[in-house]
Amino acid sequence: MLRVEAQTRLGALELDVALEVAAGTCLALAGPSGAGKTSVLRIVAGLVRPERGRVLAGGETWLDTEGGIDVAPEARRCGYVFQEYALFPHLSAWQNVAYPLRGMSRADKRERALALLRRFGLEALAEARPRTLSGGERQRVAVARALARSPGVLLLDEPLSALDARTRAGAARELSAVLREVEVPSLLVTHDFTEAAQLGDRVGVIDGGRVVQEGSPSELAAEPRSAFVADFTGAIVLTGVAGAGSDGLTRVALDGGGEASSTDAAEGPVAVSVYPWEITIESLEEAAHGSARNRLAAEVVSVTTVGNRVRVGLAASQPLAAEITEASARALELRAGTSVIASWKAAATRLLDL
Amino acid sequence: MSSPRHTFWFPALLALSLAAALTFLALPVAAIFLDSSPSELIDSLGEPGALDALWLSLRTTAISIAIILCIGTPAAYLLATRSFPGKAVVVTLIELPLVLPPAVAGIALLAAVGPAGILGGAIEGAGIELALATAGVVVAVTFVASPFYVRQAMAAFAAVDRTLLDASRTLGASEARGFVRVMIPSALPGLAAGTALALGRALGEFGATLMFAGSFKGITQTVPLAIYDRFSTEFDSALALSAVLVAVSAAILLSVKLVAGSEALGGAAR
Amino acid sequence: MKRALLALGLVAGLAAGCGGDDDGTSGASADGKPQLVVSAASSMTEALTACSKSYPGAELKLQFAGSDELAAQIRQGVKPDVLAAANTQLPDALASEGLLSKPVVFATNEFVLAVPESSDITGLEDLEAEGVKIAIGSESVPIGEYTRESLAKLPPAQEQAILANVRSEEPDVKGIVGKLTQGAADAGFVYVTDVKASDGALEAIKLPATLGPGATYGAGVVEGAKEPKAAHAFVDGLVDGECADALQAAGFGAPPG
Repeated sequence: MLRVEAQTRLGALELDVALEVAAGTCLALAGPSGAGKTSVLRIVAGLVRPERGRVLAGGETWLDTEGGIDVAPEARRCGYVFQEYALFPHLSAWQNVAYPLRGMSRADKRERALALLRRFGLEALAEARPRTLSGGERQRVAVARALARSPGVLLLDEPLSALDARTRAGAARELSAVLREVEVPSLLVTHDFTEAAQLGDRVGVIDGGRVVQEGSPSELAAEPRSAFVADFTGAIVLTGVAGAGSDGLTRVALDGGGEASSTDAAEGPVAVSVYPWEITIESLEEAAHGSARNRLAAEVVSVTTVGNRVRVGLAASQPLAAEITEASARALELRAGTSVIASWKAAATRLLDL
Repeated sequence: MSSPRHTFWFPALLALSLAAALTFLALPVAAIFLDSSPSELIDSLGEPGALDALWLSLRTTAISIAIILCIGTPAAYLLATRSFPGKAVVVTLIELPLVLPPAVAGIALLAAVGPAGILGGAIEGAGIELALATAGVVVAVTFVASPFYVRQAMAAFAAVDRTLLDASRTLGASEARGFVRVMIPSALPGLAAGTALALGRALGEFGATLMFAGSFKGITQTVPLAIYDRFSTEFDSALALSAVLVAVSAAILLSVKLVAGSEALGGAAR
Repeated sequence: MKRALLALGLVAGLAAGCGGDDDGTSGASADGKPQLVVSAASSMTEALTACSKSYPGAELKLQFAGSDELAAQIRQGVKPDVLAAANTQLPDALASEGLLSKPVVFATNEFVLAVPESSDITGLEDLEAEGVKIAIGSESVPIGEYTRESLAKLPPAQEQAILANVRSEEPDVKGIVGKLTQGAADAGFVYVTDVKASDGALEAIKLPATLGPGATYGAGVVEGAKEPKAAHAFVDGLVDGECADALQAAGFGAPPG
């Protein structure tokens, strides 16, 4: 378990956070630049000392400003994946991964490093220098290096943002698998909510040095506590398998049931993305008109007023959220448990390769 | 097929400037080798004083560089990575010998650690001989050459991405370990360049050595002093020694380029 | 390669620039007085600098160094107007090579054993003791030649013992003076004029006459000098004139005859 509490001033920012991450889970801190996300990581790692704070990891106290405890970074067992990976340029890939290993013969270190690289599919590049590796390869070496000495906490700073869009999808999948395997708490920061949703079990939205809301990705989308969170969470993402459909559209069989069409072309496993404000809610009786619309039967889970908008959390085969006007909400008399139809245009449906 | 547009005059001017610079710099150096026949040069090298001077220069330079590297590297690292009140003053003080004329350096050393200097009594009391002794040569040479290294080393360390150090610490290496295993290898081209500059300066030091340590075969007469001693009466011998110094300096330049890559000494686009 | 270049450049620079101005060319000065470049032995630094300030016939640009370096410069084609050396051999040699006019003897000097004023050393015998540090001139500079010639007149054992204690062979006499005043050397052989110029920092111990501690200074006009008339006038003035007076005031002897 990782617990971090910190109150400190960083330049113009007042940071005040209290977070807890359970073992084997990943908390993704998502927020705009300058919100203080990276600082939280650095505090956990011991690279920065807050004015007041505590860091407890796996039963050890790494920081307690009150009790005068401040364990040096090298003594904290953190695996830190830096934003630009910070691979040592003068060392080969395996030497980078072997860097943290101690108390082993050189041959043993090489063995262990190669084993890790193998797990990431990089064994063939073991002798390569970082500058000859692609962005995606470097990212994997960085993760391997962070895991080399079985850290107590895994920290990741924007692990995907340095990658181009094409590499990112595959890297996200792989990183997601790694995070699921890892048995220690993971704390990840990103400016992209979709990334947070994809990689984190729980997401904390951080803005101006404070966590404004924390919960599962769908909770945040469905019940945003503020307009900021509502805007920040962006599109709903569903998963499914795409195939050819009629009228030149692509038809996606959604995981868990249901169907959606899109004007995008894709095939195979895909992510289906649509913005909440593109989704309208129709009562069961009204439904049926309008061509080229996707329709899903769903049950209302929550109704949250955000400013002059209303976020409606819906449970279909996968979680959804719709954003409608207050007037519409009143007219539909929405309550938790009501069955409705969520509908949106095929043209507003984006497909992303998975 | 299209071709790039050329103007004539500007490139011609550039080429002319290069030719002028090359002639001015290369001619005196070439003259050292051309003014006398190779056999005469080698003969005059065999004369005992010449070999003494060479050996002395090599010894004192080696000791001096060793001192500069041992003390200058951590100092440069401190200056490159920390700030503290008065840092600008400290940096200026360290760089000062760079702009001091050698004669002034000689005076400064005499005033500080010469027999009549501020610390002269203490040094004598400790049984250390500097004036008229080889140790004095080392002191003079170290004084004038160290800023060349420290400055380059500072720049080299400052240019290393600090996140590498952060990464090293999170990977379990203390700051000292990180300094040795990450900082120094990453800064190596710059450190090598600084070493080469300091080496060149040390080998060529004349004025401060003469004033502070004197000139005596085998003890304090380094190659530059030996050249000066000989040029009025044994010009060939002076030429021979100069040729050796040129060759050694060229060898130093070349090895630095090899070790550290052509970026180290400011090589332009590859 | 830059270091070798600098070493040679320093040689030229030091020779040209020791103590005085370093303008290597002569010609008319701004106010119409001819400019004279005078290469003179270092032992004459104070005396000639003093008389140059009010020298009527020309504007003097003085450069001081060991006489051997100044002669070597002239052999390499550098053309000051006048050479005033601390011996007669160098001017004679240059004259026989056609580089200098017939030299004129203009002064004499005496070289002595000099010690710092607080020294215990009283004579040559004290120089043989172990641990004594002596500074003398290099082989090619006049003061060094004079010293070695004199020491050669001593019994060989004594000569060897003294030479064994030599710790520095300076390129010019001011270097020896510097080592003495800085306390680096215990004793040195310099001109009596240098001791006088040291203003009490040094003590002169006269050498026995049998060692022939005399120096004869010769001067001549360099072949190809730009202002030969003014140059000859200056050389004559070294024998009898303002600068001659300055030399004698500094302790140089009048020329014989």
